[in-house]
Amino acid sequence: MLQNPIEHLSVEQKNSKIIVCIKQVPDTQEIKIDPETGTLIREGVPSILNPFDEYALNLAIEIRDRFRNNSEVVALSMGPSQAAEALRKCLAIGADSAILLSDRAFAGADTYATSYTLAKAIKKLGPASLILCGYEALDGNTAQVGPETARLLGLPAICYVERVEALDGGEITCKRESEEGYELLKSPVPALITCMTTSSFEPKLPGVREIMAARRKKLEVWSLEDLGGSKDEYGLRGSLTRVTKTYTPDIKRKGVRFEGKEGVKELISALRGII
Amino acid sequence: MVNVWGEYDREMSEEQKLLKESLLSWAEKNLNAERVIKMNQQGYPFPGDVIKGLADLGIIMGVVPPEHGGAGLSWRDQALIADIIGYIDPSIATAAGLMAVETGWGFTIDRYASEEVREKYVKPAIEGKKIIGIASTEPQGGSDVAGIRSTGRKEGDEWILNGEKTFISGVYECKEMGGGYWVIARTEKADKPHKELTSFFVPIDSEGLEITEAYRDAGRGSLSTAGFVMHDVRVHESYILGERGKGFYQTMEGFDNARLLIGASACGVTRRVLEEAGKYVSEREIFGHKLAQYEGISFEFADFYANLEMLKCTYQHVADMQDIRYKEEGMPVRTGRAKTYKPQEIAKWIAILKWKAPHLAKDAADRAMHWLGAAGYTDEYILETAWRGVMSYCVGAEGGENIQKIVIARESLGDVAKPY
Ligand SMILES: Cc1cc2nc3c(=O)[nH]c(=O)nc-3n(C[C@H](O)[C@H](O)[C@H](O)COP(=O)(O)OP(=O)(O)OC[C@H]3O[C@@H](n4cnc5c(N)ncnc54)[C@H](O)[C@@H]3O)c2cc1C
Ligand SMILES: Cc1cc2nc3c(=O)[nH]c(=O)nc-3n(C[C@H](O)[C@H](O)[C@H](O)COP(=O)(O)OP(=O)(O)OC[C@H]3O[C@@H](n4cnc5c(N)ncnc54)[C@H](O)[C@@H]3O)c2cc1C
Repeated sequence: MLQNPIEHLSVEQKNSKIIVCIKQVPDTQEIKIDPETGTLIREGVPSILNPFDEYALNLAIEIRDRFRNNSEVVALSMGPSQAAEALRKCLAIGADSAILLSDRAFAGADTYATSYTLAKAIKKLGPASLILCGYEALDGNTAQVGPETARLLGLPAICYVERVEALDGGEITCKRESEEGYELLKSPVPALITCMTTSSFEPKLPGVREIMAARRKKLEVWSLEDLGGSKDEYGLRGSLTRVTKTYTPDIKRKGVRFEGKEGVKELISALRGII
Repeated sequence: MVNVWGEYDREMSEEQKLLKESLLSWAEKNLNAERVIKMNQQGYPFPGDVIKGLADLGIIMGVVPPEHGGAGLSWRDQALIADIIGYIDPSIATAAGLMAVETGWGFTIDRYASEEVREKYVKPAIEGKKIIGIASTEPQGGSDVAGIRSTGRKEGDEWILNGEKTFISGVYECKEMGGGYWVIARTEKADKPHKELTSFFVPIDSEGLEITEAYRDAGRGSLSTAGFVMHDVRVHESYILGERGKGFYQTMEGFDNARLLIGASACGVTRRVLEEAGKYVSEREIFGHKLAQYEGISFEFADFYANLEMLKCTYQHVADMQDIRYKEEGMPVRTGRAKTYKPQEIAKWIAILKWKAPHLAKDAADRAMHWLGAAGYTDEYILETAWRGVMSYCVGAEGGENIQKIVIARESLGDVAKPY
């Protein structure tokens, strides 16, 4: 059951903005968790722009430049004030403006509360043609925020997109890889797509000029007041899930050796056990 | 975990951090250790794709004001870039060619150039399409700039230049890509030799300019060092840089700008050397312990690291002085005088940096090779490339060490210490 009715969050048809949801994540695969609170320990770990989000941003810029020059790419993130760094990078890469959703009340959000907050902001931003997300964040790894946000906005979602092939006549065509080969998917716009980096992707490196220009672009910070509603809708309080316990499992890798004829039999039964 | 950047990231502005990230990501793909070592061995000319890549990132002559096609960076920003460039390419070829020469001298050329020279040479060099540099040194010696023998004679609205320049960085790259040099020549009769000089911009393809054979240098092999002879080379009056008779002083300004960046780059070389050797000694076990556990090595490491941090503070201080100086003098063209710092005071600090930083890098590379033993002597590691490259800035490039000491002695001991 959804906690908050969300029907009113659908995005208007008029196309003017491409919104990219980006998350600043710790630059490490090894996530340290505070055993007391069950939340991430961020101190001392350098932060980066989630690589899939960087890809999504590059796609958005490409779409802006290729299909509709007058659309505006907006980078959107929910996070602590430090996340402004990641947004500044987005501006340097080529986003036109950026919004940071930052408020104590947003802290401790699960994927639902995160999606809810993003959806509220997207709604406030006004007419958008496309919303892009990474397919997953390096730290949380749930891959839920994209589709959840789409659901909250009442939008179609296409996940694991590698390329946008076309965007015309109110329709978007996306390409993604599946086990059988490639799939081309069409959807009416506005739509939300989550993006998967291709191996040939070379991220745009902002140079001095782009970085200086980014300084002059708009980076707004929105708080609870800007999004409206009560504290209970956001953050930990607005979350549907609770982390009750976090722990690192003891990994004991044990090598097993199967030898001789008997070994083959043992191996077969062992494999049966696994399957 | 070896940390040679210290807490530098914390000091950096958001923009500086982004720039560092871009530069290091660019280098990972385009100028990694393997390529630096290979380029050093293959020899000149310095590859055009590296020039273009760095120009696209906007770091060549970033200090040139936006009105003149640059990025309007502060010297503090540019010094940080120079540090990172030294770290990326410890052979020092990139720092020598694109930071010290193009950026330090290019900025100074831009400041004193006519519109024509700026449009035809400075702007294309910022875009990585041409090469510009300094040709001060002559066969009879480079240290005594006031004693230069090349001459300039006026005829109508042209100047006719004669003389020879030698040990000039980037001549073959310049010939290949187009561009030219800041050339100083004797043009006046005055009471002091310092007042007899004028600076010119001389295009490399000028008629009567004959390029001489390149030297086989000990290091920084990917950048050519050669020279040229001028036989009645004619340049238009508009190719004078600054004012007639002020060539010596403007040249000193150019040296200061280049020396600051080479000092910062040398810090980057030390950084890279310590990082590379630091990782090695943290892993290699001899007599049952990691090499890094022996004070014979860790204390030496600490010594270099401490000096590196001190020199980083020095170049930041010097860069800040430069920023104040140029703000007071006026940008993009000079309109006033520096008030807060005397030019000689800045020159002293720059001399301290230019003397100490390349020596620290060279000594760090030397000791690091000892720490690695035989491995350090091979091209499996970047240490010998760094060692041979940075030596160029110890022996003479942008002024030898004793010349720096002369400046420091003059400003501290007094005029009595002047040899001239
Ligand atoms: C240790 C740990 C425990 C967690 N436990 C739970 C839990 O029990 N229940 C639960 O629901 N969630 C949990 N989370 C998820 C946590 O709430 C997430 O950090 C957050 O909600 C986003 O989810 P995600 O990181 O998995 O993003 P994903 O869904 O993997 O991200 C997909 C995309 O959504 C966008 N996106 C994600 N977050 C943001 C953001 N803040 N701002 C803008 N765009 C964004 C990006 O485009 C991203 O690429 C946990 C996370 C961690 C690290
Ligand atoms: C790789 C490389 C690249 C170079 N690139 C350029 C370039 O692009 N453009 C350019 O113009 N020049 C360039 N130079 C030349 C450089 O500027 C000169 O080497 C430097 O000015 C010294 O001149 P010199 O080599 O002729 O030495 P000299 O002037 O002959 O001096 C020899 C030695 O005596 C020392 N010395 C001089 N006077 C005194 C004194 N009074 N007391 C004590 N010691 C003294 C010097 O420090 C030096 O060690 C380059 C040099 C090198 C090595």
